[in-house]
Amino acid sequence: MIPLSYYLTFAFTLFIIGFYCLVTKRNMIRLILGIELMVNAANFSFIVFSSYWHAGFIDPLAHSFVIISTALVGSVTAVALTIVVYAYRHYGTLDVRKLKRLRG
Amino acid sequence: MTIDRIGTAGLVASLFLIAVLGVFIAQNSFPAFLYAPSDERLVSVTQSIGTAESNFMWTYRSTDLIAQAFVLFVAAAGCLAILRIEENKKSEAG
Amino acid sequence: MFPLPLEILFIFVVTTPFVGWLLAKKNRQSLCGIYAASGLLISGIALYGLFSQVLDGNVVSDQQTSFAAGFRIDMLGVFMATIFIGLGLLVAVYSIKYMENDTGTMLFYTLLTAMIGGMVGVAFAGDLFTLYVFWELMSISSYVLVAFRKTEWEPIEAGMKYLIMSAAGSATLFLGMSFLYGITGTLNFQSLASALATAGQNAWLSMSFLLILIGFGVKASIVPLHTWLPDAHSAAPTPISAMLSGVVIETGLYALARTFFSAFASFQVQWSLVLAVLSIVTMTLGNITALLQKDIKRLLAYSSIAQVGYMLVGLAVGTQLGLTGTTLHILNHALMKGTAFLCAGAIIYRTGTRQLDDMAGAGRKMPLTAILFGISLFALTGMPPLNGFVSELTLFTSAVEANMAWLGIAIILNSILSAAYYLQVIRVLAKPASSEKLEKIKETPIIMLLPICIMAILIILLGIYPDPVLDLARRAAQSLLSMGG
Repeated sequence: MIPLSYYLTFAFTLFIIGFYCLVTKRNMIRLILGIELMVNAANFSFIVFSSYWHAGFIDPLAHSFVIISTALVGSVTAVALTIVVYAYRHYGTLDVRKLKRLRG
Repeated sequence: MTIDRIGTAGLVASLFLIAVLGVFIAQNSFPAFLYAPSDERLVSVTQSIGTAESNFMWTYRSTDLIAQAFVLFVAAAGCLAILRIEENKKSEAG
Repeated sequence: MFPLPLEILFIFVVTTPFVGWLLAKKNRQSLCGIYAASGLLISGIALYGLFSQVLDGNVVSDQQTSFAAGFRIDMLGVFMATIFIGLGLLVAVYSIKYMENDTGTMLFYTLLTAMIGGMVGVAFAGDLFTLYVFWELMSISSYVLVAFRKTEWEPIEAGMKYLIMSAAGSATLFLGMSFLYGITGTLNFQSLASALATAGQNAWLSMSFLLILIGFGVKASIVPLHTWLPDAHSAAPTPISAMLSGVVIETGLYALARTFFSAFASFQVQWSLVLAVLSIVTMTLGNITALLQKDIKRLLAYSSIAQVGYMLVGLAVGTQLGLTGTTLHILNHALMKGTAFLCAGAIIYRTGTRQLDDMAGAGRKMPLTAILFGISLFALTGMPPLNGFVSELTLFTSAVEANMAWLGIAIILNSILSAAYYLQVIRVLAKPASSEKLEKIKETPIIMLLPICIMAILIILLGIYPDPVLDLARRAAQSLLSMGG
């Protein structure tokens, strides 16, 4: 089997790529994609652990976590996109850097 | 040029974080399942995993499934609340 | 299949839109609030039945094996659920009048009941993943409730910022949970406590600790993850601001306490120092920034950040007295901050402005509201015959007893600092009326005044005679600490 540390490095890299998207991108829809990337890194980490307990066996508990978490992230994305629709109507742009009227 | 500065700062910080975490992972081996209490529930890969897994989910994690159904309902109600049509009958107070 | 209060709340979540649709035919949609409030009342009565079962330290649990999802109801869970349902009921009654000019009020009450249902589920959860599912239920309904008045730009911007930060926090939390699963193979609180009781300090356990702290800390508004809070609390409708400040933040603290004292109890000495430093930074930053605010809801939001710092002192100390202080301060803060926000909302409802300078002298025209507002602000400062003093004294005593006297002194200094801006609000309200548009305002409507009066009476009562709630808080803290093994 491939050693566990490679999979963990990949999970962390995916998480940090998602975080980079969240911090630097200007388009609001890319921010939502960044959040999905971060949650997918955690989903990946769960699935990796579920097959590393004994060789040739999987753990259905971790798989059920991932199945339910996918639906939860879908709901959050739906609500986020609805708020983005209204943000576009108010500000006329999808640029998140323009949403800085609230300060202090 | 503010936008370029945030972009490059984010890129540098991300690469630095990935390097630090790579070093962390290399130095500390993961204690996989070191403290596990029991392993009676594992499923062999050669069985029909779909049936076995859905049996497991409905037997043992049914609370999470029903709560997830409520989350989907509330997300739909929330999207409806934001997308509702406003008729301007009176002015809103505060 | 859920505990009874939770089932009643979910039944009301599903049927409130139907009742609202029926009422919309007669154009009286805001009467949905009466339906929702009665649902919360029935749920509270069902909670009392659970309360008598767990009073002696028993735990009601319906989990058969260590990997089954279920609920684990102990005294701390019932204590928190009482606060959530109580404040929710008073806010639902208040918002019958406050939200009468808004459209879509039936969805408002649906989302409010769903948010309370999610919080009660977090309080009752026996498994870290069940807690996560109910956490997402609470979060999604609170995102929509912050952005409820979507025709103005401010709620949408605040809602977007809140959503991005809170969803990123949830993702970080989920990653931390995956490492905890990788080490132990289970996410059950009882099994985590017994499996990791002798683990000691491990590098991966510390990494999981850090990620879970960031994940729950975004919602609990620990500095430096607090930047969503002032915008979201001032842009939301005032009943929702009262709920957010009063109970949603405390849900984050409850989840933090539950996870840390079950899974990470083995290296408590190390992480209590981290929490102590975070609590001092949170208190100080919240109080100093509140001094500069001119908007009354933003001022109250920054003072919420400071109060979270006080509650973290009890978690950092970690003894039974410290946890008693934190639990009691959660109850007191819900009462005090709820009263303050609802009074501010009444003044905003009558005067139409949120700036402190424009509402100078409004206290003369609305005397009862101003007196109740004054009671809650004095209680927030920590004055002796009111309930804020009891919980801050408990926190100070616990810090001194555990050889962390510098934490106790920080609490006292911050209380004195916070008195500066609380008393400024009272002074502004009590000035003689100066502008003409304040000439015509009347006293608050009765239906909005009733919840404020009930909470103010409780503030005074719990300050003069704190023994019953102090005993309940002590039992709750004991049930949290006795979870190991």
